[in-house]
Amino acid sequence: MLTGLSVIILMWWVNYDPTRDFTQSLPGMDNRGSGGVGDTVDIGTLFDRYADDYTPLTETWPRFRGEHFDNISRSGIPLLAKFGSSGPDVRWSVELGEGHSGAAIYEGLVYVLDYHEEERADFLRCFSLTTGKEQWRRGYNVHVKRNHGMSRTVPAVTDSFIVTMGPRCHVMCLDRLTGDFRWGIDIEKEYRSEVPLWYTGQCPLIDGNVAVLATGGTALMIGVDLLTGRKIWETPNPRGWKMSHSSIIPFTFDGRRMYVYSASGGIAGIAADGPEAGKVLWETEAWNKQVVAPSPVCMPDGKIFITAGYGSGSMVLHLTPSGDKFDVEMLYEYKPSGGLACEQQTPLFWEGHLFGILPKDGGPLRNQLVCVNPSDTRKIVWASGSEKRFGLGPYFMADNKIYLLNEEGTLFILQPSSSGYKELDQAKVIADGHDAWAPLALADGYLVARDSKTMICINLRK
Amino acid sequence: MENDKIKSRREFIRGGARISLALAMGGIAGFAAAGISREKWVWQIDPFECTQCGRCATECVLTPSAVKCVHAFDLCGYCDLCGGYLKPNSNALSTAGENQLCPTSAISRKFIEEPYFEYIINENLCIGCGKCVKGCTSFGNGSLHLQIMHNLCVNCNQCAIARSCPSNAIRRVKASEAYLVKGDFTKD
Repeated sequence: MLTGLSVIILMWWVNYDPTRDFTQSLPGMDNRGSGGVGDTVDIGTLFDRYADDYTPLTETWPRFRGEHFDNISRSGIPLLAKFGSSGPDVRWSVELGEGHSGAAIYEGLVYVLDYHEEERADFLRCFSLTTGKEQWRRGYNVHVKRNHGMSRTVPAVTDSFIVTMGPRCHVMCLDRLTGDFRWGIDIEKEYRSEVPLWYTGQCPLIDGNVAVLATGGTALMIGVDLLTGRKIWETPNPRGWKMSHSSIIPFTFDGRRMYVYSASGGIAGIAADGPEAGKVLWETEAWNKQVVAPSPVCMPDGKIFITAGYGSGSMVLHLTPSGDKFDVEMLYEYKPSGGLACEQQTPLFWEGHLFGILPKDGGPLRNQLVCVNPSDTRKIVWASGSEKRFGLGPYFMADNKIYLLNEEGTLFILQPSSSGYKELDQAKVIADGHDAWAPLALADGYLVARDSKTMICINLRK
Repeated sequence: MENDKIKSRREFIRGGARISLALAMGGIAGFAAAGISREKWVWQIDPFECTQCGRCATECVLTPSAVKCVHAFDLCGYCDLCGGYLKPNSNALSTAGENQLCPTSAISRKFIEEPYFEYIINENLCIGCGKCVKGCTSFGNGSLHLQIMHNLCVNCNQCAIARSCPSNAIRRVKASEAYLVKGDFTKD
């Protein structure tokens, strides 16, 4: 009997499967759609003119990060250090579609890309800088759903042209003054690119007579003739790097002009001119992050600081000339809590120091403005303090001051310094501000800022 | 005289018993009435104070913990890249086990339409570790957050998690308002 019982227990033990309730987690269990390429979009077919009575001015903020790609204004106009008893001089405000697209300014006109939900259309809207009166708008019908905002890019503007990049990678080139349509490219269709998560964040670049765009897909980067829309060069993309939210930054090192681009997959320097234009000068996959929004910060000694959010942290690369190309060395990398790191905004490089706002996963200094020395970006020189946290808001420099908009719409005026946080003044400039993430723009003393739904213009002149 | 004395003693004892009984009944009735009218208090997590330290999973007297993740759907961005569902820099935005942040796969995701995904917590699998909450708070809208579930909680006189909570995020709340769910509950 005992033997029989032992045999039964043994059989039960042998046949017992303690993992019988386990289920496997396999790809595809979310029933994800195929995500096919969308409908054909007729770029530039919609146009409305409202007025032509703007006041011409002289200064410009012609693109993302301004004239010199460093977010520092060279304007000689003295600006306010304090708002005074009457508060900020908000000249006008305009309601926009939900988004984070910043403005470009050109001699008295403000250009901003905006998605109109009711008309289901992307529009490049042109406003008077001094009055906010809309002059005209040019756009195209395209279906975009809210996804933490819709439009999120800054147009590139020259004396004659405007180039925009829409939420679903539609590039549109217009005549700057009349708004006449010149040419368009559907990057998703033409290059089989993947629209980045939460839509396009890359701000287009105009370099001379060439529009430079990072496409991902079948090409990494393309150069397009501004006048005709003809492709001048295409950089191959054999590794299948994807378009990121980062924007292309021109950089000259050791006498060589190049475009530095931080893709999803890697970072590369592409020759900007000469017969080698469009050729890869250096590249590395050491920097391979899922979501990259800030642009690379290229420093005169060949160091490149790159950073990204979503747990990525930062990395510092160093370029060394090698024949007609460059060797790239990864000096070090770290997690977001290990030094300067940013989720959306690109840090400022000023007088040998870098300034940026740490992300929410940046440890005890999260959301604080910090200053580091590029010799070691892991060592924080100073931080703004636990009472001064700014979120994902934008910041730039003008008239030797830092203007910083926190994500709730409060504008801070700071004294830039490598020795500590020095606040001069602050004021709420957007009532009930929410997700004020768009880059700021300044020309002729007028600051254009926005939160997710409202764009405002503040007169900062002394 | 002797009889009167005896009678008086008996009456005294009877009277004392009656008074004791009346006092006892009154006390019971008083306690019952107090129990009905006085609000019961229970433990709950203030999601705005929680720092997702992970102690809710390990300090609760219950195994698994009475703390579970809850999802405020009206705050969720329904993102494809969800910081509460996917590990940072996961190799794909997929449901593969190696990409999931949750150690017990307690979050399932469902494609709704481009570009939206819905995230649903399986309470039976959730151990209250807060990893998803940390990811959602750091990179998203903070719609995932931890709550003490009162169908599980034994309402200890001194909550073991509250005692070890580094941010003092756990406090007594009225049983009639036992949950501090984001969206309904906002921090001033």
